[in-house]
Amino acid sequence: MARLLEFDDVHQAFGDENVLRGISFGMDRTDVEVVIGPSGSGKSTLLRCVNRLTEFDAGDIRLNGESVTAMDVDALRRRVGMVFQGFNLFAHRTGRGNVTLGLTEVRDIPSGEARRIADENLARVGLSGQADSYPAELSGGQKQRVGIARALAMEPELLLFDEPTSALDPELIGEVLEVMRDLAEEGMTMLVVSHEMGFARSVADTVTFLDDGIVAERGPPEQLFEHPERDRTREFLGELDT
Amino acid sequence: MTDRRGRGVDVGDLPGARRLVLVGVGVLFWGWLLARWLHDWVLAPDVNTSDREPFVPPARLEAVAEQLHDLAAGAGAAAGLLEWLAGGVEFAAFGVDSMPALAAGAWITVYLTVLSILLGLMIAIPLAVARTYGGPVLRWIALSYTELIRGTPLLAQLFVLYFGLPTTRYIREFHGVGEGFVPYAAIWVAVIGFTINSSAYQAEYIRSALQSVDPGQLVAARSVGLSRLEGIRYVVLPQGLRYAIPGWTNELVYLVKYSSLAAFITVPELFRAARNIGSDTFRVLDIYLVAALFYLALVLTLSVAMSRFEAAVAIPGVGSASERD
Ligand SMILES: Nc1ncnc2c1ncn2[C@@H]1O[C@H](COP(=O)(O)OP(=O)(O)OP(=O)(O)O)[C@@H](O)[C@H]1O
Ligand SMILES: [Mg+2]
Repeated sequence: MARLLEFDDVHQAFGDENVLRGISFGMDRTDVEVVIGPSGSGKSTLLRCVNRLTEFDAGDIRLNGESVTAMDVDALRRRVGMVFQGFNLFAHRTGRGNVTLGLTEVRDIPSGEARRIADENLARVGLSGQADSYPAELSGGQKQRVGIARALAMEPELLLFDEPTSALDPELIGEVLEVMRDLAEEGMTMLVVSHEMGFARSVADTVTFLDDGIVAERGPPEQLFEHPERDRTREFLGELDT
Repeated sequence: MTDRRGRGVDVGDLPGARRLVLVGVGVLFWGWLLARWLHDWVLAPDVNTSDREPFVPPARLEAVAEQLHDLAAGAGAAAGLLEWLAGGVEFAAFGVDSMPALAAGAWITVYLTVLSILLGLMIAIPLAVARTYGGPVLRWIALSYTELIRGTPLLAQLFVLYFGLPTTRYIREFHGVGEGFVPYAAIWVAVIGFTINSSAYQAEYIRSALQSVDPGQLVAARSVGLSRLEGIRYVVLPQGLRYAIPGWTNELVYLVKYSSLAAFITVPELFRAARNIGSDTFRVLDIYLVAALFYLALVLTLSVAMSRFEAAVAIPGVGSASERD
């Protein structure tokens, strides 16, 4: 059976800057994959290629064996949720409104039913009390949890997280990681760019070290963190610790 | 006709006492104007504009002025003051006398402005979206339109529409034009002219408002599966239009005043009504002063209404109204 997600020699350049230079790896259903790597190594680009916010130059990305480039892009994005570093909540809509927009306009769910689904998903991320608050009235951690609920409500097969906690004050990181941990336990397939080592260690099935547009090293967290094979990996992990 | 920037004082923000006075004057003005319109169209619809009687007989004011003049004659030192007072009362009498005609003109000014700004808005939104999110061709078309309109005088545009093109002839062919409550052709030409003109200016205000919407908003909309157009409609515009309200209010205020140019294509709006009275009575300065007060009242009303509207639709974190809190 086809893997849930498969990168097959993916290349992407911006101008003459080769950002992705042949990425190949795969994930199965319920896998949690954490991607780490220095700034500019292409982590965000890699995620954005999956839901085609960036159209990659060469290679292929397959979802359930089907090339994403062959799919209707809106249908693809409905199947692959994304959570942003900067939250990107719809500023003019309440927490609930953020979740319902995709339900009513993309999944064509009637508004009453959409509200119910939204409230369910907000409850799932611990925000039952904030459904009527606007983004400007929420803390960073609450915003990011709304962002997760918004993605979850679309019932995606895969969730992409691009540094979901790096814009947060340290004391707010925990509540977001907690939600992500719960999702992993419920069997959600997640591709997560994050440098939260505690999370990677305890939740990730596999950690990928992306460096300069290639997969420099990849393995289970205990192996990659404790016994990295490459000097470059060791060096990068050393920088993270300090 | 070039500078449309700079905001006046926001009346909605004035402190207690002065605000109360303004509200009082406003209630009086609008109460009278609405009563006038109601009276002239519903209660006495068959009377010619020039034959309409003011609610307060000016003869009474003129009598008061006479008495003041008489008093002044024997008042010695206070004569100057009394003469000055008499002049004021005479001016009021003249103003009152011209009220019915000005009220009729004001009606045309109001609906010319309101109709044009709203129709213009319907053109301005797609224009602004095309400029901001369109491909090269759409962008070029929208840019050419706005620059052509903003780069030529409004009066010239009205003349081209009214005298140059067969616009008027086409409009006359529509059934019912000029009958009953349907305005006649010149007014429609003015509406078309102002709609086109203000659409270009409105588009500029909206465009810069759209640019202040974080691009991440559209990315997020796309990431849940909305198409680009849906993202613009459901996410970018609701925010951008809120940001555009102050600029849009500016345009509205300008349009009230620029609508006076319709006088030059024979539309009997407020300014033309004043001009006609001026040439009948030769009291040119006085009548333009009265007309100016009308314009002032309209403009102040609109800017209060718009800041109310802005507050009513404000959302925490979106638009300038929320930043003021
Ligand atoms: N749309 C774009 N146009 C041009 N260059 C881009 C674009 N997106 C990314 N890049 C460039 O590609 C490179 C990789 O960017 P990317 O955002 O994928 O890195 P990253 O690993 O996510 O970095 P960070 O840790 O800083 O988020 C950077 O040099 C960036 O400038
Ligand atoms: Mg990044």
